[in-house]
Amino acid sequence: MGVAPVEVEQPQTGEETALDEPWVTIVWNDPVNLMTYVTYVFQRVFGYPKPKAEKLMLDVHHKGKAVVSSGTREAMERDAETLHGYGLWATVSHDS
Amino acid sequence: MAESFHAVPGGAACYFEAAQAGVVRSLISQVAELVGSDAGTAAGTETVDDLEAQLGLSSHADPPDDPVLARLFPDGYADDPEASAEFRRYTEESLRSGKLACAQAVLDTLPPTGGEVRLSEPECQQWLRALNDVRLALSVRLGISDEDEDLTANLALDDPRAAYVWVYQWLAYLQDSLIEALS
Repeated sequence: MGVAPVEVEQPQTGEETALDEPWVTIVWNDPVNLMTYVTYVFQRVFGYPKPKAEKLMLDVHHKGKAVVSSGTREAMERDAETLHGYGLWATVSHDS
Repeated sequence: MAESFHAVPGGAACYFEAAQAGVVRSLISQVAELVGSDAGTAAGTETVDDLEAQLGLSSHADPPDDPVLARLFPDGYADDPEASAEFRRYTEESLRSGKLACAQAVLDTLPPTGGEVRLSEPECQQWLRALNDVRLALSVRLGISDEDEDLTANLALDDPRAAYVWVYQWLAYLQDSLIEALS
């Protein structure tokens, strides 16, 4: 599954462990949102270039869901909230 | 159905017939009313802490009963009701006000009698999300569960919702043109 690594700004306290990190935001396929719209949202929210956003959208479309970002739990909740604002269904999950 | 958004310097423009403007305004208003009616920080609610209300926290823990609202405010965790409840508590009110602002932007820029609508880029963004909320709401009312299904198959010939199948498809066309104009 082609997911571009997303740079997450981390405060450099040295206290983070790997356990803080492996949270992901998942976008689920739905029958309403236009493919053009989902692609556009991924470009706008994550700054992905169009081909990358399109590939991610196709992953969601064909596989039923796809990981769109990864990082701390707080960052993933922010992403999910932003995506909900656009009408996509996104959930936060611990990537284990 | 011929008119659609086209790019203009600084944004996009589209001509709306009066009937088209009426339909869009009506649907936007209905969705806004539904979204606004379910606020979880009602001042009269005894269970809402004053500080919580000031911080914009929702008193809602569970997904909304209304299926349209449930679609507009989905759970943040797929299999963790407690985490979902916390997520809802912290995000629902801000999501709600964002959706209402987008709906208001459409009402502010689309005259009831229609005409040439010219939008700035930020207004385009608000229209995009407001139109999407309307399509999501319509999809719930139309019982759309599969993107390939024949939309008319669900409905009896005299079902009043049948007219909305056309609107739903027209809004997709309109939304697509707006995305194209923004790209």
